[in-house]
Amino acid sequence: MTIATPSFDTPGLADLLDASSQEQLDALEFGVIGFDAETIVQRYNAVESQAAGLSPQRVIGEPLFTNVAPCLNNFLVAQRFEDAADDASELDDTIDYVLTLRMRPIKVKLRLLASASGANRYVLVQRR
Amino acid sequence: MILAEDSAEQLRAEHEALIQFLYLAPVGLVQASLDGEIAMINPISAQLLMPLSPDGCLTNLFAALEGVAPDLRLQCAQYPRAQGMVFEGLHIHLRAAEQSKRAPQILSLTLLKLDEARIMAVIQDVTAEVRRERQLRQSDAWLNAILTRISDYALVSLDRLGRIVDWNESIARVTGFGEHVVGSPYSVFYPPGAMTPEHLLDRLREADRNGWSLDEGLRLRADASQFWASALIAPLPDREAFGLDEPQAPAYALILRDISDKRAASEKRRQAAFCDHLTGLANRRAFFEAAELELDRAAHTPRPLALVLFDADLFKNVNDRYGHPAGDRVLVDLAEALRDSFRIVDTVARLGGEEFAVLLPSTGEEEALAGAERLRALVATRLVPSDGGEIAYTVSAGVAVLLPGAEGQRDSAGGIDELIKRADQALYLAKGRGRNCVASWTSGLSDNEDIPKRSRNAG
Repeated sequence: MTIATPSFDTPGLADLLDASSQEQLDALEFGVIGFDAETIVQRYNAVESQAAGLSPQRVIGEPLFTNVAPCLNNFLVAQRFEDAADDASELDDTIDYVLTLRMRPIKVKLRLLASASGANRYVLVQRR
Repeated sequence: MILAEDSAEQLRAEHEALIQFLYLAPVGLVQASLDGEIAMINPISAQLLMPLSPDGCLTNLFAALEGVAPDLRLQCAQYPRAQGMVFEGLHIHLRAAEQSKRAPQILSLTLLKLDEARIMAVIQDVTAEVRRERQLRQSDAWLNAILTRISDYALVSLDRLGRIVDWNESIARVTGFGEHVVGSPYSVFYPPGAMTPEHLLDRLREADRNGWSLDEGLRLRADASQFWASALIAPLPDREAFGLDEPQAPAYALILRDISDKRAASEKRRQAAFCDHLTGLANRRAFFEAAELELDRAAHTPRPLALVLFDADLFKNVNDRYGHPAGDRVLVDLAEALRDSFRIVDTVARLGGEEFAVLLPSTGEEEALAGAERLRALVATRLVPSDGGEIAYTVSAGVAVLLPGAEGQRDSAGGIDELIKRADQALYLAKGRGRNCVASWTSGLSDNEDIPKRSRNAG
């Protein structure tokens, strides 16, 4: 049985990502950063690693908003996850953003995903 | 072969460590061209700049900061040297956060010109630091007032309501006032428009609370000439002994010193920190500090506070048709008209681009509207000389008033935001009515979801 590779805007993507192996994450065409309730990065795929110039060992186990992607630590992104966690509500929103990958300003779309339980959360990155 | 692979691997690891070092640097770093096009930028810069960027892009540093620091491009272009510090630690006040209490409110920006093609910017959130500094600055002013060698001073006793209790030689020496001054409020020493009855009492209350109240500014002599003075008000330590029910009993000491000779130095310091580079008006920092102080005062002793937002009509057309230098001359002309039209006690500020604000303490809607209308009419008669003839221009204005007891007065941060929002909505209404027009905020406006948050693009 083969499952079609999910795309950036596939509905219900968080569950699919939860169930994906590292190889499956690495095969995706967009960046995946998965983090837990304490904002510690748990998953990091090849596309994201390549774009940022950081190997997974430098990123996994580190707090996302302070040690991995400080550029997301404002009300546009980090606050959204915090608010969702405070309200125990689900978050699935896509916003235009600019990342500073390898110190170049890169226009991207970010998809912010959090389940109501807040256990697994994702920032997905696609270039625009 | 193995060695070569090893050294390539080592280079790769070093490169990665370097990248991570820059990712994690706790200050914002940007390298851009002289006209602001961003070449390299680190994550903290994006964290701080993205919420400000009007177009959601980070392609141009000056464009990203346009709304809060409109004169960067000009300052950079006017910097005369081939390389060097354009400015260091410039404070940029952000629009007090609608988003979150923890959002930065003050950024510090340092701009270094590397050569004729590149600039480097350092950006930091200094909100907490500035708060601490402000407290220190106040203590400094106090020490300055007592430690500086005093050549002459007037010592004036005031009663509980700030009226002058008795006369002595020192009052005559410094101010020229005779004995008839007894019974007048101490505002008699202030030039017209520099004091309101509410401010008069505010200073007494601040002296009660802090042990002293100090300010510097122009004061008036009996012959109507003016001098630059430092004025310290302190509660008298044993005033209870005079009996608190005796209304004419001395309750405060006012020490008035002529410091005209120090004015140039202190004005220069003040201007560097609190004035808009192009127009010389108050900058955003000065505006928000004044607003915070006024709201704080209004929370203790209720009084109305009015805000008028002015916006030059279709200003983009002026820039497009006559060029940016001519556009700047129009802004300078508008600033001059604003300065001449309002009182000394009012704060006249440039908030960004062609947007100006006037904060009017102890002023109701009718007076504020009249003041705005006066300015609008005055501007409509003015012509600004330019290479291609003379430029006529107009302004629109939005007026909003915070009334005593209104919800916003209790929370100063929320208060000024709300006031700006309302004045902005009124300004948008004035633009919609065909420009060259003044409108006042009404409660119906806030229900209208169609009104965009910022009127900036309304022309």
